[in-house]
Amino acid sequence: MKNIFLLSLVLLLASCDKFLDIQPTGKVIARTGEEYRALLTGAYDEFPNDRSLSTLRTDEMFLDKTDLTPNDYNTYFDIWVWNDATPSETTASFNWMHFYHPIYIASYIIEKEGEIEEASPADVSQLVGEAYMLRAYSYFILVNLYGKPYTKCNPTTDLGVPLMVSADVEAVLERSTVEQVYQQILSDIDMAKQYLNVDKWEDDFKYRFNKISADALLARVCLYMGRWQESLDASKAVIAAYPELEDITTTGYTMPDNYKSKEAIVCLERVMPVAYKSIGYPDKNFITSIVTGDLRKNRYFKAKTSQVYDLLKGGTNDTRSTFRSAEFYLTAAEAAARLGDLNEAIDHMTPIVNNRYLAARRTPTINAMKAMTQDQLIDAILESRRIELCFEGHRWFDLRRTTQQSITKKYGDDETYILEEGDSRYTILIPKEAISANPLLAQ
Amino acid sequence: MKRLHFFILSSLLSLGALAQTSAQSVNDSLLAQNIAKEFELDNFVVTGYQKIDRRKMTGVSTTVKIDDETVGTILNVDQALAGQVPGLSSVSSTGAPGAPLKIRIRGISSINGNQDPLWVLDGIPLDGTEVPTMDDLKDIDNLYQTSIAGINPADIESITVLKDAAATAIYGARAANGVIVITTKKGKAGAPKINFHTKLTLSPNMGLGRLNLLNSDEKVNLELALLRSDYTYHENKGEVARIIAGLGETAAYKAGGWGALSADAQNQINALRNINTDWNDILMRNAFTQDYGVSISGGGNKATYYVSVGYSDQQGNVQGVSANRFNTTMKTTIRINEMLKVGASIFVNQRKQKSFMTDTDGFTNPVYYSRWANSYFQPYNEDGSYRYDQDVHYDQVESGPDFNILEERSNTDRTRKDRQIMAIFDAELQFTDWLKFTTQLGLQTDAYTIDKYAGEHSYAMRKDWENSTITVGTDKKSFLPTTGGKHEVTEAHSSQWTWKGMLEAQRRFGDDHEMQLMLGSEIRHVDANTVYTAAYGYDPRTLTSQSVTYPSEDWVKSFPLHRETQTENAYVSWFATGSYTFKERYTLGGSIRFDGSDVFGVAKKYRYLPLYSVSGLWRIGDEPWMKRVKWIGDMNLRASYGIQGNIDKNTSPYLIGTYKNTSNLIQVEQKIDAATAPNPSLRWEKTRNVNVGMDFSFFKGAITLGVDYYYRKSSDLIGLKMLPLETGFSSTTINWATMQNKGWEFAISTRNFWRKNFHWTTQLNIGINNNKVLRETVRENQTTPSREGYPVGAIFALETAGLNEYGDPLFRNAEGEAVTLKELLKLNEDGLVTISPEEQRKLYKYMGTTDPKVSGGFINTFEYKNWTLGINFTFNFGMKVRVTPSYGNVRYDRGKNSNRDILNRWTTENTSSTLPALMYFANKPAATASDAEKNRYSEFAYYTSYGQAYNELDMWVRNCNYVRLQSLRLGYKFDMPWMKRIGILNATVSIEARNLFVIASNYDNYLDPETMGNPYAQPIPREFIFGLNIGF
Repeated sequence: MKNIFLLSLVLLLASCDKFLDIQPTGKVIARTGEEYRALLTGAYDEFPNDRSLSTLRTDEMFLDKTDLTPNDYNTYFDIWVWNDATPSETTASFNWMHFYHPIYIASYIIEKEGEIEEASPADVSQLVGEAYMLRAYSYFILVNLYGKPYTKCNPTTDLGVPLMVSADVEAVLERSTVEQVYQQILSDIDMAKQYLNVDKWEDDFKYRFNKISADALLARVCLYMGRWQESLDASKAVIAAYPELEDITTTGYTMPDNYKSKEAIVCLERVMPVAYKSIGYPDKNFITSIVTGDLRKNRYFKAKTSQVYDLLKGGTNDTRSTFRSAEFYLTAAEAAARLGDLNEAIDHMTPIVNNRYLAARRTPTINAMKAMTQDQLIDAILESRRIELCFEGHRWFDLRRTTQQSITKKYGDDETYILEEGDSRYTILIPKEAISANPLLAQ
Repeated sequence: MKRLHFFILSSLLSLGALAQTSAQSVNDSLLAQNIAKEFELDNFVVTGYQKIDRRKMTGVSTTVKIDDETVGTILNVDQALAGQVPGLSSVSSTGAPGAPLKIRIRGISSINGNQDPLWVLDGIPLDGTEVPTMDDLKDIDNLYQTSIAGINPADIESITVLKDAAATAIYGARAANGVIVITTKKGKAGAPKINFHTKLTLSPNMGLGRLNLLNSDEKVNLELALLRSDYTYHENKGEVARIIAGLGETAAYKAGGWGALSADAQNQINALRNINTDWNDILMRNAFTQDYGVSISGGGNKATYYVSVGYSDQQGNVQGVSANRFNTTMKTTIRINEMLKVGASIFVNQRKQKSFMTDTDGFTNPVYYSRWANSYFQPYNEDGSYRYDQDVHYDQVESGPDFNILEERSNTDRTRKDRQIMAIFDAELQFTDWLKFTTQLGLQTDAYTIDKYAGEHSYAMRKDWENSTITVGTDKKSFLPTTGGKHEVTEAHSSQWTWKGMLEAQRRFGDDHEMQLMLGSEIRHVDANTVYTAAYGYDPRTLTSQSVTYPSEDWVKSFPLHRETQTENAYVSWFATGSYTFKERYTLGGSIRFDGSDVFGVAKKYRYLPLYSVSGLWRIGDEPWMKRVKWIGDMNLRASYGIQGNIDKNTSPYLIGTYKNTSNLIQVEQKIDAATAPNPSLRWEKTRNVNVGMDFSFFKGAITLGVDYYYRKSSDLIGLKMLPLETGFSSTTINWATMQNKGWEFAISTRNFWRKNFHWTTQLNIGINNNKVLRETVRENQTTPSREGYPVGAIFALETAGLNEYGDPLFRNAEGEAVTLKELLKLNEDGLVTISPEEQRKLYKYMGTTDPKVSGGFINTFEYKNWTLGINFTFNFGMKVRVTPSYGNVRYDRGKNSNRDILNRWTTENTSSTLPALMYFANKPAATASDAEKNRYSEFAYYTSYGQAYNELDMWVRNCNYVRLQSLRLGYKFDMPWMKRIGILNATVSIEARNLFVIASNYDNYLDPETMGNPYAQPIPREFIFGLNIGF
């Protein structure tokens, strides 16, 4: 009898490890290429739409006292009036950790490059390239939300955001300078260029970075840094790969902010998600300032009443845009104009005019540009950029890097709010939850 | 009533004589049964694995025996332990019916992990006994249920609490917080015995007077004064501001005051003063609870049986909240032959709790609302329709969907139903008189259904509509059906099975040597799943719902129609215990256990945790040389040492992710969410336990004394640590500290008076616990001081030095000077702290600890003929509490009611006040403003955005010492000759009052000293209980 017991005990011991081998439903430690891809998909999925949220701070959006919902008032009003010092506790916060978590995942994938199993070298290379791009792009947005604009500060002393470039949960960092952050972005773009190999993703996967997106980001970053020649060169590379523009003067065009548009290069971020779009209306003064004949006035907006317009961009699942071809025509034009090459600038503006203006207005518009001084042309290009890329999350960053003009907002009849020219509020404060988690940021 | 002596010590001592006679028989279970039944329990300690002869019990345990007479006064199993066991603290979590008690044995050993003891029912550890954290329990709506709640107290024979390493090591890692072993009644050979009991409890509605809330007149005056002040935060809140604004007289009032108001405005405002709505009275009630039970037991030589049914129905003090429970228990044991004995028991219960939806937002909880609602606000309009509250909203917002708590109560519903079945089968095979094999199989299945309904006319539904509002074309509207309500159902099932087998040898060699050895193995498997479904546009009459058209995939996450969870765990353990006793006086014992469990993403070497203990017992009183000292009856010396380990199963050295579905664009893809930070440097948490104790009995048991000293050192404690968000994660678990618990436990029991008709006994138990953090990892970004050298519950505060000329707090700096906050923290103009975290840490002063230094109970029992009077006090001394500030200095919301401290705040008319002034800036002062104004603004910006300093002022730390009359009970035992003739064997009636009064240090503005710090706690209920118990 005792033997039987002992025997069963031995059998039990042997089967124990098996008994304990429970694979929890859905849990995984990434090992294969497919699993690393899913990890990166998760990071893409988490990527915040803060460029859209920044629209509230620009002169693009108007909040109507007569129909602003209490919920939207509590959540967004203080952002709209730049009340950064004493916002109500329910005010939405610009993201911090949700940029750094994708950064962590990106660094993690970069560090694990050699350990990814069951994947072709090309797939691994593309994956790592996207990770570099995701990290670079995250830092680009972070430094433009929370750091002073590169061209309006002393980048080597003014502080940007902390640079976390390894998957290390034990690090406690201080803020790096704006210059250091930009150098990291440039270095990551450079690495991405060496790794990326997918020219074009299928429509449904266009949220992923492709090969040309490295040049697209480089063009934008250099534009923000005032490195005009590099920006021009990179823009031209993007235009060469993605020359097509939607012709909104005909019927049957696709809205350029739609991910199915032929202009779409990368479609990671949502253009004015429903929650943001429904807060208010496009600013009437902005729309009326658009010249007649520029069909963007009719294709991007629609009059609701004599005073109120509706925005036709954004607000759906399909409206997503991070990089699209029109931006790079405008970037190339601006860079060329700043370099003094006005003819080249106008050459880059011509396709925009041809695809956006009524046929009768095209030549007069080009001719008018030809008659402009350098400053006038730059202003015209910036104005066209404002109209073209409106509500796509460019305006706030463009205001910061260019004029930092004064903005006046009226809420109802009796409340007026003013952002002074060059106001310190052109740079957002680091979220207080980030500061309480790391007081070293409070400087 | 002798059985009121619950303590091991008293039983130990009263058993001395019996122990002598039974010494020869312990080896033979057949003979053991013949020992007088009444003493069987007292003679052995039931550990769940073994019955250990008390004379050889080297560990520390306390047994509470629940006899037929006292069962009348406890409603739940956990309540039976309150105040009865030295070293065990129990705190009522909430006054809601069916709510569990939080039980802690010998302080806290772990910070991150579960702190609840392990509950064992007839040898089978129960699953699902964790009591949720205090924070979750604030909602009366979350009617938590633990599996202990399903046990009928009337079925319980005794409860044994195992405390030190020697006693608990055999339970392995789960026993780190102590073990509570429940032994249920079983049938006894003899004629069928029928027992009936009932218990009726009245818990009167307790007033909120102690909270010192403002009455209508005071509130109106306050609102009038604030409207003229420069404190403009939420300026349009409060009925007074609305009346004045409604008549367009705001500017006039601000300029000219009361006299500038029109007669109409004055009349309307004065009318408010005469309305005094008593929200406590409207929302709370007297609660009545009934409990009934019948049991039948008996048996013959071969088999015994025990069958019982029980029913209880509990009302909550909050109107609309109730609970009931129905139990049946069946137990039988069968002796098949000389060698084999088998047993089977089945426990079945069903519990139902009913309430309404109170968790939509914090303020929708009636307990909260009764504190926040203004007494000048009336819930109904004159035409009888509901009036919506325009002042009480979620968080700090200025408006929200319509809310009326009475509408919410009648138009929403929340019901939770629990069904539980436990079955235990056991068999005992006695090979020889010294060797036996026992095996036990336990099955436990729990199922519950939570059914929530929010009607079309309810805040819960309006809130959903608000949160689902989108722009469709040019209209703003909710995408949910705009008629009908919402119906949510959560179904949860969990089941566990445990099997254990043990081979036990007990043998005596010669006259002087006794050996005992046990080897065993245990395996356990637990799985659980939940399914949630929701229906919108629900019509409770037709039981139909409407379709939901989501604008995008994202919205599915916010308003899911279906959700599921699934978990599965497995455990394998081996264990061995042994003891050697020499001359019945010297016992050495030891035990070891290996616990294995499934841990995903953790190296296999971490799968098995070793735990062990060694212990010894010396019965000095039995030494021949002690026999001469007649006045000492018993004298035992016990000592034990043990080690326990624990590893956090949720933290892995690797990055663990969870598969989820997403649609980055339109296509649905699988993604991996990696939300937990990996931590490769995480080490085991280890706890070393030392226990030394002595038991004495003097003067033939007239005085008994038990003293225990324990030392518990926990190193590499695992704790949750906030991470800088730049890491990509908000927190992780790390080994953060080494901590020690040192303590003394005294149990003194005296027979003060002992005559034929009158007995008076006293019991005093005292626990002294001293907790100290020996080492703590302080992250460089931490701004509060390290607790190194202080208790884990240390409270640190900023020392104040009165108020400055604006009524803002001044602080005492390291040099002893009074400085402003701006100077203390070197705030910049935007209120950001510019001194380093390290410098900030040095600013704090140690105030005391949140854990009591001394706690215990004092129990007096008087017996006169058939009467018994029991008086139980419990006490806690030497703790501090950090209370919530009575009002916020920059975020005081004038719309809500509050306590009267706001009236005594510093103002220009009341400059002698010690309570800070209100402070508000609508905008940053212009560059031309005075320095004083800029300085004040920078403090304001700090308080509103960054700082905890206001909550950390020393004025918000209070002493908490109290003695509570926990129970006053009078019982009468009927003993009439005629009763026998009609078959009544025994009958008792009792009346008891619980929580009649408390003597405490100052707890003004709070209901009870225990709940000080939480102005929203429900009062600890006063209860009056009538109990009746009859046996046939």
